[in-house]
Amino acid sequence: MSSSILTPAGRPDGEPAAVAPQDGGRQRLLPSPVTGQEMVLIVVIALLWLALSLATPAFFTSGSIVPLLVGMTPIALIGVGMTIVIITGGIDVSVGSIVMVCSVIVAQTMVGSGLPLPLAVLLAVAIGGVLGLVNGVLIAYGRVHAIIITFGTLNLFRFIGLQVFGSSTVEGIPRTLNFFGRGEAGRTLGIPHSFVIMLVIAALAWWYLRHTAGGRHFYAIGGDSQAARLAGISVRTRVLMAYVVTGLLAGLASCFVLAQGTSSLAANVGSGLELAVIAAVVIGGTSIIGGRGSVLGTVLGALLVQTVATGVTQLGWRSQLSDLFVGLFILIAVGADLIRQRTRRAS
Amino acid sequence: MSARRNRATVAVVGVGMALTLAGCGEGSGGSAGGSGGGSGGGDDMPTIAFVPKLQGIPYFEAMNAGGEAACEELGCEWLYQGPVEADAAAQADIVRSFIQQDVDVLFVAPNDPDSMAPLLQEAADAGIAVGTTDTDAPNSVREVFVSQASTEGIGQTLTDQIMEAMGGQGRYAIVSCGETAENLNSWIEVQREYTASEYPDAEITEVVYAGEDQAAATQMATDLMNSDPTLTGLVGECTSSAPGVAQAVRDAGRIGQVSTVGLGTPNSIAPYLEDGSASSSVLWDVEALGYLTVWAGMQLAEGTEFEATNDVNPDLSAVEYDEATQTLLLGPPLVLTTENVGDFDY
Repeated sequence: MSSSILTPAGRPDGEPAAVAPQDGGRQRLLPSPVTGQEMVLIVVIALLWLALSLATPAFFTSGSIVPLLVGMTPIALIGVGMTIVIITGGIDVSVGSIVMVCSVIVAQTMVGSGLPLPLAVLLAVAIGGVLGLVNGVLIAYGRVHAIIITFGTLNLFRFIGLQVFGSSTVEGIPRTLNFFGRGEAGRTLGIPHSFVIMLVIAALAWWYLRHTAGGRHFYAIGGDSQAARLAGISVRTRVLMAYVVTGLLAGLASCFVLAQGTSSLAANVGSGLELAVIAAVVIGGTSIIGGRGSVLGTVLGALLVQTVATGVTQLGWRSQLSDLFVGLFILIAVGADLIRQRTRRAS
Repeated sequence: MSARRNRATVAVVGVGMALTLAGCGEGSGGSAGGSGGGSGGGDDMPTIAFVPKLQGIPYFEAMNAGGEAACEELGCEWLYQGPVEADAAAQADIVRSFIQQDVDVLFVAPNDPDSMAPLLQEAADAGIAVGTTDTDAPNSVREVFVSQASTEGIGQTLTDQIMEAMGGQGRYAIVSCGETAENLNSWIEVQREYTASEYPDAEITEVVYAGEDQAAATQMATDLMNSDPTLTGLVGECTSSAPGVAQAVRDAGRIGQVSTVGLGTPNSIAPYLEDGSASSSVLWDVEALGYLTVWAGMQLAEGTEFEATNDVNPDLSAVEYDEATQTLLLGPPLVLTTENVGDFDY
């Protein structure tokens, strides 16, 4: 049994093949637009925003909300890909390293050759896609659990990134990418570009996962990959796709990270980002064992984490408290997930 | 039924494990990019090893350059390796590996002075001369601390600089980095006292900790400005938060309303000095600090006592040594402005 847990493609136990599409009945094929956990998140965030607005009058102003929304975009954007990956029963802990490799190459190229904005984005997305492809091929064809593979590539990519950095920092990064930043150049009519881009991508992913047969296949794979394969789903292609999409989004997110940083880039960029992303996904209600979850929840999860960080600073509380809160949110979310599974089995 | 439950439990445990592993991986990944190199080439040159708080940031790379140059000049073998993150555990691993390599002199800029102390004891027991540089571990067996500037010097200069920019009055906040960093905390202590005694019309409102994360420093500076519209100054207490607070002011379009100073390296702070989002940067000659560290290491290796005033080289002709605290002092802090920032290349 334990071996089947570690191989996403294999589940050679006695469950009938027809289980996957029927598992959870009609509800899984036509889920309600907003799940219980997402509703809870919306209420919690609304209450937090209300409380913060009352506690510090400056909270609900564009000067405060815009940086908050821009600040959450890298995590939310990568979270979209991570949600798909986790729905298939996998995970990608290498995303922080992908961001590191993409951002250092883009930063160096921009300093060296004054790369225009569209090309910089293209370069970042292309590198991210290639690194995601490496993950995807290894996982789809390697038959080793994604956690082991991406833990390997986390270190591998980081090594590559450190070689590119060459034991120094990148200095004098031009302001080209400020289009995605929190400053004046990053807004049109007061609305931050990076946030809109993230929202559009998240909405597309949300629609695709919910309303297309292809999207539902990811859930089927996470529910029972063996059954999904027998039902005619190309499991390998789907799994590969999930990691490539995550890589592409991590590439784009690295442009946002650069835009939010200063004019110098140090080698610790992206480190720990995978944990923040997984935290947002888990808090958003996506089941860590796969088969269930939504992009909307992840975006809300990222928003909640960012709100807490901003709130802790604005209230003048100790910085460490935001770690405590995020930890508690994760435990509560995972606990809620386990309880849901038990009640589902019981019913 | 139970099979499903097992699957869920194992998966959750698995994720937890992998995340723990991932955390370790980042911390100790520095060994991959480290310069490494074995000791004991067979000649008599002493081996001097230095473990910075983290590798790959300009500050410590400049120290590395200074140390390397000094070793070439004074005749020693220089080993430099640090963790990728400012992480106490990863740093301890590197210190252990240098103890294993049996270097002659070991210098550390500890991330966590308290947890470093027993390791320094271990090194001393193995016959290695130990010292601290950049950041002290006061309750340890270290024989010397090479100090970049006196705590008072840095704290007071930072305060004077931010006060000059703010016109001698107003409310300002501090964006610090590691919460357990001894030197940052002692500077902040001086800033508090000195501001209270010298600038009665000024007040430090808050101190927040962003780690070594630029984006976090920038976000926190933004949040501080928002939560307190009367704030007119921000101090970035380390090399990652100094450009971070300036970037926040620039992004918020509040250049001229909120002044910033900090401990920024010349290259990283130059663009902000240029547009006025940073008023000045307080630092010291980092390469000279690396040089002085090696020089001190040579004295330890040769068993030479330090004088009250030491003639190290033409640029460092009067380095003071405090017998009571066993501290070598590089000199007064360096104030970087648009005038002189171009003279340095790190």
